[in-house]
Amino acid sequence: MLTGGQKMIIVITVVSLGFAGYLVFPAMDITAQEQPEVFVTHSGAVVQTTGDVLDPVYTIQEVEFDPEKYLREFDYGEVSQLEDGTTLREFTIIAEDDKIMEIAPGIFYNVWTFNGQVPGPTIRATEGDLVRIHFTNNGDKEHTIHFHGNHPAEMDGIFEIVGSNGGQFTYEFIAGPVGVHPYHCHVMPVEEHIGHGLYGVFIVDPKDARQQADEMVMMLNGFDTDFDGENNLYAANTIPYYYQHHPIQINTNELIRVYVVNMVGLDPINNFHLHGTLYKYYPTGTDMVPSEFTDMTTFSQSERGILEFEYEYTGRYMFHAHLTEFSEKGWSGVFYAKDNSQPNMEGYAYGS
Amino acid sequence: MQKIILNQTWKGMLMEVKRSSRTKTAVSVVVPFILLAVMIGYVFGPGSELISFGVVIPEISIEKVEFVDSEIIATVRNTGPIAVDIVMADINDRIYPAAIEPDKHLERFESAIVRIPFEWNEGEPYAVGLTIDDGTRFEKQVDVAAPSIQPTVEMITYFAIIGTYVGIIPVMIGLLWFPFISKLSRSKYKFFLALTVGLLLFLGISAAEEAIEISSENLSDVFNGVLLVATVAIVSFLALNFVGEKLKKRAGASKLAGPIAIALMIAIGIGLHNFGEGLAIGAAIVLGEAALGAFLIVGFALHNTTEGFAIAAPMARTKLMIGRLAAMGMIAGVPAIFGAWVGGFVYSPLAAVIFLAIGAGAIFQVIVTIMRWIQNEEGKLSNSSVLAGIAIGMIIMYITSILV
Repeated sequence: MLTGGQKMIIVITVVSLGFAGYLVFPAMDITAQEQPEVFVTHSGAVVQTTGDVLDPVYTIQEVEFDPEKYLREFDYGEVSQLEDGTTLREFTIIAEDDKIMEIAPGIFYNVWTFNGQVPGPTIRATEGDLVRIHFTNNGDKEHTIHFHGNHPAEMDGIFEIVGSNGGQFTYEFIAGPVGVHPYHCHVMPVEEHIGHGLYGVFIVDPKDARQQADEMVMMLNGFDTDFDGENNLYAANTIPYYYQHHPIQINTNELIRVYVVNMVGLDPINNFHLHGTLYKYYPTGTDMVPSEFTDMTTFSQSERGILEFEYEYTGRYMFHAHLTEFSEKGWSGVFYAKDNSQPNMEGYAYGS
Repeated sequence: MQKIILNQTWKGMLMEVKRSSRTKTAVSVVVPFILLAVMIGYVFGPGSELISFGVVIPEISIEKVEFVDSEIIATVRNTGPIAVDIVMADINDRIYPAAIEPDKHLERFESAIVRIPFEWNEGEPYAVGLTIDDGTRFEKQVDVAAPSIQPTVEMITYFAIIGTYVGIIPVMIGLLWFPFISKLSRSKYKFFLALTVGLLLFLGISAAEEAIEISSENLSDVFNGVLLVATVAIVSFLALNFVGEKLKKRAGASKLAGPIAIALMIAIGIGLHNFGEGLAIGAAIVLGEAALGAFLIVGFALHNTTEGFAIAAPMARTKLMIGRLAAMGMIAGVPAIFGAWVGGFVYSPLAAVIFLAIGAGAIFQVIVTIMRWIQNEEGKLSNSSVLAGIAIGMIIMYITSILV
């Protein structure tokens, strides 16, 4: 027969051994999935697991923001004619700073948004149009919109701070010069306001329209999700690797025009590299004569330009930062060039 | 008179309703816990707004990184105050497709294995990073990639041989001092016994220091490294005290019992300590630190002959029983082999800290036992030969520890 003391000792021993065992050895989960999942590595190997796959690179995972839609979506505003014949384009932009968005599969980040999205809407006007932007700040912090381009000083969005929780301001200016420009919040600390997502693309078309093309916008951006002064994720249009598992559908022998704007903060430069063909490069899009015929362009912070190219052969062509750190942290994608007669390759995934 | 009767009735009732009084005792134990649970539920439970301030910062720790065929395997534990999801893995800050087993959701203290297919190069440094659902990235730096050792027959034998060299042989060599000690005069003998105390004091402190060092380098703060070591060491101290008393009682009135029980306690304490040494050697070899491994083998081997001496000393006044002496040597030495296996094949910093702390507690318990014994024999501890013995013991250990 055991004494009380001995019983106590046995209980203590069993409890402490049990606890130590739980801590020392990795938990065995009886609810582990019965059906093993598979994923594909960078080198194409297929790996099986009884657990969960962590793969933002090749797995198609839907997130809230749709880069597919953003890519070719242009906001021309509400159009009306002034008495003198000038076209008036009116836009409504609302800033918010309380949204938590899934910016990569499983990663949730507090984005600050123009019209609920990062990047904000792509605003498009023709040179000489009157652009009127009704700005409301519904955020908890002060915000502004600072457009790159020509405008009066008081329309610059620097000294005219728009108060939080309903502050309003109307930006009005004549669209110009021709080209591709960024717009962004200019409240200090600017790095923080841009880093959280308050930016977008502003395109000014020439009065004599550019050649007909398949046009798209690529906002090069990054997110420092743990606030250590280094970006954790990079992308063209916010979602890392999105165009890698959702290749951009294009046609061979059709002119492709990409408006590229670099808004990556924290890193001094970014770049763009295209596979399988070269492009005509128009810095800032302000000149109708290309400065280069190349497949690699370096962008400093807020530097931008227009790319024009065509593919002769069908197939998958990568485009990505040639800064491999950026490309291996999300800034890479694929063009899928097809003949018009080919079937739609929607949802085409790596390795499939 | 009435009081006595009352008392007796009370006692009788107690006897009669022993069962129900037990239930009452049980209830009286449980009730405060229930009230506490109700209070906690009220304060923290759903709908409560009393404690809703402050920001909860999640934390994970990458405890171990292994390099196997075309794969890097990281063991990760949730060491923060809230549950997290692991959502992304990277090598050298570059995102890689990976898998997490058993699943990506980690409750507090839960751990998982992250498998990252990667063609790694031997000898190169790697940083393994994991990102959780709020975007925070955690990193573990590995200085040198080396293939993780699989428990094959050759490797098991290899570690057993190393354990023998480090643990068993030096201890046995130390035991050869037995005839020398047994011929010493009473005061010289006491000096050598005190010398053992000095040696053990040094070993105990070094085990505790090692445990604290490993916990601060490899364990998350959530484990309260220093307090973990203190708690485990004291519990081990108390447990061995308990076992030691039992051993003495069982040995009964036999005069031999005292010294042999003490020697056995010393052997057990040293055995636990040698387990820790084996762990260190096994882990060093696994981590590819072959030079460190070799250095540790030589160092511990030299060191451990003094342990044989420590076992021999209390038995020196008894008849020479070679069988028992050898058994003691095995008790002290063999754990080095187990340590090398554990360190080599299933290294876990938490296990290492716990074992080292147990060893420290055991050694301090042995010290107390020997001191008590000396006091019983001598009556006081402030004898000059005792004091000199302890001091010289520590000095010897310190010097051998810096020489090797």
